[in-house]
Amino acid sequence: MGRRDTKTPFVPERDAYKAPVMECVNLGIDFGGLTAVNDFCITIGPTEICGLIGPNGAGKTTIFNLLTKVYQPTRGSVYLNGVDTKNLNSEKANRAGLARTFQNIRLFKNMTVMENVLVGLHNKTEYGLGEAILRMPAYWRAEKIARARTLELLEIFDMQGIHGHKAGSLPYGSQRRLEIVRALATGPTVLLLDEPAAGMNPAETEELMENILKINKVFKIAIVLIEHDMKLVMGICEGIGVLNYGKLIAKGTPAEIQKNPLVIEAYLGKAEGEGDA
Amino acid sequence: MKEFTISTPARYVMNTVLVLMFLFIGNHITQSGILLRSQYALLIQIGFFIILAVSLNLVTGYLGQLPLGHAGFMAVGAYAGALFWRAHLLPPTLSIIVGLIVAGVVAAIFGVLIGVPALRLRGDYLAIITLGFGEIIRVMLTNLDSITYGARGLLNIPRYSSFLIVYACVVITCTVIHMLMKSRHGRAILSIRENEIAAESCGIKTTYYKVLAFAVSAFFAGVAGALFAGNQGLLVPSDFDFMTSINILMIVVLGGLGSMFGSVVAAAVLTFLPFMLQPLADYRMIIYSLMLIIVMIFKPSGLLGSYEFSLSRIIEKVVNKALSLRGGAAKGGR
Ligand SMILES: Nc1ncnc2c1ncn2[C@@H]1O[C@H](COP(=O)(O)OP(=O)(O)OP(=O)(O)O)[C@@H](O)[C@H]1O
Ligand SMILES: [Mg+2]
Repeated sequence: MGRRDTKTPFVPERDAYKAPVMECVNLGIDFGGLTAVNDFCITIGPTEICGLIGPNGAGKTTIFNLLTKVYQPTRGSVYLNGVDTKNLNSEKANRAGLARTFQNIRLFKNMTVMENVLVGLHNKTEYGLGEAILRMPAYWRAEKIARARTLELLEIFDMQGIHGHKAGSLPYGSQRRLEIVRALATGPTVLLLDEPAAGMNPAETEELMENILKINKVFKIAIVLIEHDMKLVMGICEGIGVLNYGKLIAKGTPAEIQKNPLVIEAYLGKAEGEGDA
Repeated sequence: MKEFTISTPARYVMNTVLVLMFLFIGNHITQSGILLRSQYALLIQIGFFIILAVSLNLVTGYLGQLPLGHAGFMAVGAYAGALFWRAHLLPPTLSIIVGLIVAGVVAAIFGVLIGVPALRLRGDYLAIITLGFGEIIRVMLTNLDSITYGARGLLNIPRYSSFLIVYACVVITCTVIHMLMKSRHGRAILSIRENEIAAESCGIKTTYYKVLAFAVSAFFAGVAGALFAGNQGLLVPSDFDFMTSINILMIVVLGGLGSMFGSVVAAAVLTFLPFMLQPLADYRMIIYSLMLIIVMIFKPSGLLGSYEFSLSRIIEKVVNKALSLRGGAAKGGR
């Protein structure tokens, strides 16, 4: 087969011959004595939608924190577009092309919806300090473009009508959507979504699935998502990795994962008695 | 019906005209000698405190950090400006302007020197480090006898701080900070207050923006210090003790963290109050504390919360109201 390597959960045919956008090699982190993640290897194709699932406390969010450099890994490395991210911090990782949402929503609550997205566009809005304070033409031009772009991005989720609302006043589902828009605004090549459907009802989840597919198609970026909603994961992910106790125990297509005995065991426990850690 | 809005250029023109009128009329009144000496002194003092409060608000209100050494930056600026002015290197008008800039720049340099180590760390280090800085500066100014004349005081500082100079600085401070905050740089500063981890995840250089806010804040504190020196004519290090820092912080907190308008109003009120309460001078601290406690209980976000005054917004509101009333009446008449 034309697959680039076998570490990946599953690279869709369209990405098979392209260089991966992200690669993790033996990634691991310890918190004191606790090994939260160990030997995590994954390869993500440039336009792939990849799912990361696993029971509570498996280490999924920790992996996102490692990728985005909220934590520095104890072991292993992450390559972004072929470049080692060893020396990056969070903000540089973002500028290198990683954007994310958070499991426990982290919006700028007292800022408006538009301002939230404008912060996302910060590095794409180019004018200096002096140009801002003296209100030079560069300021007006860049602000105008940024505001138009914000409305365009909000349109993905049909939120352009509420751009003046305080982010903290939005209902839960809209806050999750706004976080995605803000992340997209930074112009990522890989978008990491931590439980994007949490707290959404089935209809909202359905809509979210469509929108994730749309983002993947329109922006031509890779999306990695953590999710407990199996309908969403099985519905839109091309490759899935299953995590248990910080270890990747299975990877493959949704169909493969559903049949994998290790996965069933991780979720439901061993047939005879409780599983040992 | 179409909403009435004031276009941005019109708003800028309107505000500029109003500000110039304020400066012109104020200058006229203060020079005509209508005001008593004490009233004039009060007016000037309100000016310093507006600059100090608005600049501190940039760090406490907008950036969400807690520095406790604002008087330290004021002191640095005061001595830098005073020494520059005393040297009489330039003709007076130019000397005033350059002296103020020197005062601001020197204070901003100290701001960067303190800010870089303190702001890289998360948590309350800034409070502790700036507290120490304020005290160290005061002790140093006392002991650098050959330059500052220590506790005897630095005398013969040219009295440059007229109404026009002080309030021009007030206007510049408010304008610069306003323009800064309504830009991508200001949004970056706000985003750090709102959620630092999220700000980083959006690619914001958090340390840079923290140090920037801190340095701009120190700059204007330094300018206020120089104005203070140019008003008093003499400086002693004890002018810049810890209580001065706390007083400025109190103005910002009472006015509403993150509200420039709140800082301006609170600076005026809290400078005016002691003047009014002179007969009760012994109880001043008690009255202050009570006020602070009462405001914190009933309105923890400060008197004005994060409200920002905007004349054009008010005009727009009033005109739209009038238009809709007239529209309603016209329909009713038909
Ligand atoms: N900063 C930290 N310090 C110590 N332990 C941590 C830290 N962050 C995570 N852990 C531990 O690492 C393990 C994995 O946590 P993580 O949040 O990644 O789980 P998760 O797979 O995202 O779970 P959930 O589905 O509940 O979100 C947990 O045991 C957690 O307690
Ligand atoms: Mg999690």
